Amino acid sequence: MDPSVLVQLLLNGIVIGVIYALVAMGLSLIFGVLEIVNFAHGEFYMLGAMLAYFLSTGWKIGYWPTIAMVTAVAVCLGFVLYEALLGSLQGEGFERSILLTLGLSMVLQNGAVYLFTTTPRMMLVGSTYSHVGVGDVRISVLRLFALALGIVAFAALYLILYRTRAGKAMRGVAQNRDAALMVGIDPRGVSRLAVAIGVGLSGLAGAALAPVYAVHPLMGAGFVFKAFAIIIIGGLGNISGAAIAAVALGVIESLVGGFLPLVLADALAFVSMIAILLLRPQGLFGRGVRV
Amino acid sequence: MSRAGALRSGLIALAIVALFLVPRISGNEYFLALGVSFATFAVLATGLNLVYGYTGLLSFAQVGFFGIGAYTAVLLVLERDWSVPAGALAGGTLAAAVGLVIGYSSLRLSRHAFAIVSLSFALLCMLVARDWVSLTRGAMGIPGLPTPTLSLPGVGAWRLARPADFYYLLLGFAVVAHALVYLVVTSRLGRAMRAVKLNEALAQSQGVNPLAYKLLTIGLSALLAGMVGGFFVFYLTIVDPSIFDFYYTETMLIMVIMGGPGSFWGVLLSAAVLSAVPDLLRFTTDLRMVLYGVALIAVMLIVPGGLGGWLERRRLARWRRPRAASS
Repeated sequence: MDPSVLVQLLLNGIVIGVIYALVAMGLSLIFGVLEIVNFAHGEFYMLGAMLAYFLSTGWKIGYWPTIAMVTAVAVCLGFVLYEALLGSLQGEGFERSILLTLGLSMVLQNGAVYLFTTTPRMMLVGSTYSHVGVGDVRISVLRLFALALGIVAFAALYLILYRTRAGKAMRGVAQNRDAALMVGIDPRGVSRLAVAIGVGLSGLAGAALAPVYAVHPLMGAGFVFKAFAIIIIGGLGNISGAAIAAVALGVIESLVGGFLPLVLADALAFVSMIAILLLRPQGLFGRGVRV
Repeated sequence: MSRAGALRSGLIALAIVALFLVPRISGNEYFLALGVSFATFAVLATGLNLVYGYTGLLSFAQVGFFGIGAYTAVLLVLERDWSVPAGALAGGTLAAAVGLVIGYSSLRLSRHAFAIVSLSFALLCMLVARDWVSLTRGAMGIPGLPTPTLSLPGVGAWRLARPADFYYLLLGFAVVAHALVYLVVTSRLGRAMRAVKLNEALAQSQGVNPLAYKLLTIGLSALLAGMVGGFFVFYLTIVDPSIFDFYYTETMLIMVIMGGPGSFWGVLLSAAVLSAVPDLLRFTTDLRMVLYGVALIAVMLIVPGGLGGWLERRRLARWRRPRAASS
């Protein structure tokens, strides 16, 4: 086996893993703070990608402004999602939250199919065909951009969670809801912010991957199921665990896909999730069952 | 039996007889197709109701059991020359066994994990059906299933050639399945299931083993879903990975939610209405799913108990209403 192929697969795996991580961290953040599993999370990834496509292809807006606008819109959608639907659920019924967000996902996904059909679209930007390479290893500029965006988003999330009061409040609510209430943290404000950040990350992931892969209304459905597997593997509500599990999954999937039948790459996330549940139910990075 | 009880049993018997007489009155194949769809979805929905409505486990795995039953029945009938009922029974049994494994492995953690694992399980089923080409023939599926022939004791061979035959078969199975579920939910078993749903710790302290009852309901509902899959697939005449489509999950879920989780008759009624109305109104599938989604959100926000829960609340309110003392 040529080592350059290995490096190539590794690089591609890291890029896709970072994008998985963006979606999974948002999901994990929302679960940690609100104890809600957001089934519509993948649809915001899809909406981000669709919006990026329409902005750049229809309105001829450049790559970076498109990314910024999509992320801003996604954050606003997160606020709306919390105020309109999730806010009314506070503290009741895990199942109700699943059904509510599942309903939202059905509306968004099938609505997008109804409006735009399932035809895949390609988002073309100025640097679609540019590559950079060292020796035999080549990587498209857009994948590098996606990687850079992912890393910037990681850093921003880290700074918000660990260097700001709002982030501290979010971690506090995730750790112990009642104690956080007792010290005067407003759970609604914290939850609203968590949903906005989570949905924003998902939209950003969609916009970053839109020029790399084809854009279509069903792209979110498959993606969110993988994100569920990732947050279980990383430990429910554990954000850094989700990030590590996501990057690892991206790399392993890419390597498996390169050497073994593609089937195994698709099933990998689900099979490892079930294995983790059997062997270590608190997740790879969980410190004990806290669900 | 009380007079109300006798009246009720009489009405039920009458309704079943009336349903069986439909093909005699009208041979309209469109109505029979709606009837087949109703019978199939009613069994799927009542199975989901058993798991979610009575025991409180939100399961997305029912479509996986449905498809496992369908594939097992088809492969046994085609490759091993089994009869259709034997194939369907084997499919249901395999689905129940798989359900027990899935339930046992995920319920160790929590109900939350069960919901997510059941979803992944259904997706995994579709991947296996698509990619295990040597067994399932992959994405193209197995088309052109033969017309099944049942040998009935005392009647002879019954060839299921007309739509009406499938209507009788699936309606018959739906009646049996509903009778079974009704017996379970009205017995001690059903009370224990509800206790587990309402307060697991309290149920445990009264000597109810929650895990055993959860596994029992998962197994029973998987058996029903697998068997109905095994029968229904011969009506479709093709089995391919789309038997695991999320569409089935969403449809049976909306039936249970609108009818009211934990309400036997509510779910049956909503299965009947939702099998017929969207089709009669000629919605396209995309639009129908959008409306289902809107309905799901609306029910969750306005009447979380669905039809059954709403009726129950009204009944309680009537009892509590102050009455003028009779003088």
